[in-house]
Amino acid sequence: MRTNNILGIVFANVNDNLLPNLTKKRSMASVPFAGRYRLVDFTLSNLTNAGISQVGIITKENYQSLMDHIGSGREWDLDRKSGGLFILPPFVSGGIGDGVYKTHLEALKSIINFLKRAKQDYVAICDSDLVANLDIGEMFRQHIEDEADFTIAYKYGKLPKNHERTMVVSVSDNRRIEKIEYVKERTNADYSLDILLTRRLFLIDLIEKAVAEGKNSLSRDILALSLDKYKVMGYKIEGFAEVIDTPKTYYDLNMKMLDSKVRKQLFSCERPIYTKTHDSMPAKYCIGSNVTNSLIADGCVIEGTVKNSILFRNVTVKKGAVVENSIIMQNADIEENAKVSYAVMDKVSTVAKHCVLEGTKQKIALLEKGETQK
Amino acid sequence: MKKNECVAMLLAGGQGSRLGVLTQKIAKPAVAYGGKYRIIDFPLSNCVNSGIDIVGILTQYQPLELNDYIGSGKPWDLDRLNGGVHILPPYQKSKGGDWYKGTANAIYQNIHFIEKYDPEYVLVLSGDHIYKMDYSKMIKAHKKTGADCTIAVMEVPFEEASRFGIMNTKDDGTIYEFEEKPENPKSNLASMGIYVFSWRKMRDYLIADEKNKESHNDFGKDIIPAMLSCGEKMMSYRFDGYWKDVGTVESLWDANLDLLNPKLDLKLDSADWKIYSRTGWLPPQYISPTAQVENSLISDGCEVKGKLDYSILFENVTIEEGATVEYSLIMPGTVVKKGAHVQYAIVAENVKVGENAVIGQNPQEVQNRDDWGIAVVGDSVKIGKNAVIKAKSMISKNVKEGDVQ
Repeated sequence: MRTNNILGIVFANVNDNLLPNLTKKRSMASVPFAGRYRLVDFTLSNLTNAGISQVGIITKENYQSLMDHIGSGREWDLDRKSGGLFILPPFVSGGIGDGVYKTHLEALKSIINFLKRAKQDYVAICDSDLVANLDIGEMFRQHIEDEADFTIAYKYGKLPKNHERTMVVSVSDNRRIEKIEYVKERTNADYSLDILLTRRLFLIDLIEKAVAEGKNSLSRDILALSLDKYKVMGYKIEGFAEVIDTPKTYYDLNMKMLDSKVRKQLFSCERPIYTKTHDSMPAKYCIGSNVTNSLIADGCVIEGTVKNSILFRNVTVKKGAVVENSIIMQNADIEENAKVSYAVMDKVSTVAKHCVLEGTKQKIALLEKGETQK
Repeated sequence: MKKNECVAMLLAGGQGSRLGVLTQKIAKPAVAYGGKYRIIDFPLSNCVNSGIDIVGILTQYQPLELNDYIGSGKPWDLDRLNGGVHILPPYQKSKGGDWYKGTANAIYQNIHFIEKYDPEYVLVLSGDHIYKMDYSKMIKAHKKTGADCTIAVMEVPFEEASRFGIMNTKDDGTIYEFEEKPENPKSNLASMGIYVFSWRKMRDYLIADEKNKESHNDFGKDIIPAMLSCGEKMMSYRFDGYWKDVGTVESLWDANLDLLNPKLDLKLDSADWKIYSRTGWLPPQYISPTAQVENSLISDGCEVKGKLDYSILFENVTIEEGATVEYSLIMPGTVVKKGAHVQYAIVAENVKVGENAVIGQNPQEVQNRDDWGIAVVGDSVKIGKNAVIKAKSMISKNVKEGDVQ
């Protein structure tokens, strides 16, 4: 069910600390993924594919690269006269309780005026560390059908690395969430993907009450304790939906994009994943190039060998160079006869001629943005 | 309306009939090129890179796809507050209406559009060529010489000169004679179909030309000769970069494969002169463990499991395992099934090439050189299993399993 009666709220800085090296100069939302995307592309596309036409992105720090990526929001059809895209940086006025937020609840408090001014009846709150192509419209349809106060998207699987802060939900046959808990063991369970649908005015009311009562967490202090008071429903996600929680998962999830079944689920024609375009030429495979089992983006020029790897836009692999089992981000160069294996090369980094950047399956090597391996 | 230096008028109404099935449903400027571009991206990108931001696009033949493609002009940065891109189809007026009778008539019918911007100069372009050119330099030369009309020319080999409109010039570049496809060319300076006119002068000639019932209302045939015979100042402007006409199947194929020529090194995304295009939302291309790819260009969304050499794959093309594609262009959305062999061919959009089908022939396999040519398969055609499409064929209807055409 497509609708523009939902206001989208996206948290750009989510668990940045879990990917410390890649988020030194960017937020989780702008971490590059799958050859041409940033993580936020998935969430933004999920929202706009459901018809949502007003989205606020709550940022906290390091949001320059995100703003550069998102621009006016045009690529997601979010440059609108009515609604559209709003970047919501921390607002510091000097009053008590103002300043850079620590929890989602504080962040929502800091944008309470944005929430109040919005006209939509519903709000969808999302994180930006999820790789999935979701039908938010269908989730909304269920939310209405269930006459729910809250609907939470969840999936079954092994809990993410930060499981102590992940909501584990017990969902009854009629979809009602009966219990929310936080577990010590990293087991398999139904857990929240931190996509939450609710009524806008109801949310504003909750936030204001919670702040007055000195509460910190929307999920822990409010949702988990009010399951008999509010109708909290679960929306089960069956397809590919993964949370990026460690550098290892980041690497593994990228590599999963080499599986055509996964790509089909993630990049459907019905619900495309939108991203900023760069007007690069198609990728060029020169005489003597040898590329197998790899995902290659526009603008790459390949003279050497590439195996089991992901190349972002405008990567060059020179003659005699070998790239294996690696993720090479935009504008990186692998010079003549260099070797890269089990590595992540961040943007604009270089492996010089005859040099080696080598990690192992257990310990992926990382070359940071702009650096040169000599 | 504020005064503007230059308005560009892009002639995009031609059918391009020599491209056969490739322009059955679309105008020639909308024909795909280079994996992700269309021919019209070149004049449009040249305009915006030259600082010309008022562009009228004259459409007539099959304009639907072209209109869709241009949209608001955003991909070329031509969605502007003042000017920007305008699609100008023929329309009904209170005293009746007319199709565009010729290139000059197309501009004549839009005199009021040009007047609105009150330009000093009008740049006339066509959507038939692949080239990068700084029009601002040409306009500068036009101003400097004080010409009434400046025509871009380039040297072509003498033996090919009789295929072009040839400009005979004096040492200082003044044009004294124009010959359309001369049998015995006196010069090898070919017109590139790019004109700068001083608007006041051009306007007078367009109005006079319209009154002349004998006229074809064409720039090359009527306006330029008329201006020459009246002694107007006509200058040539030399260009020596890469420029290719893509009016025929062979030249379209050639111009595409030029992108793979390391000697030409055509970079369409260089920071100083980018060619812009409207692109879709597709994931990066996937090259499988069974693929063998050399000397090729591949675009977003492609899946390659077969062998690819000296070819260009446009967006969303699938090459299945065991299939071979050589010296060919495969346009968006086409699928080449297992074991099929495509060579020396242009396969248009959304074609299904069945298992073990063979399309096109290597020139060495053809005994009589005249029988050889690029094989062309039109859009959305289904080629059955084991079917054979010979060199030089043009296929616009489905081909049954095992058929030979």
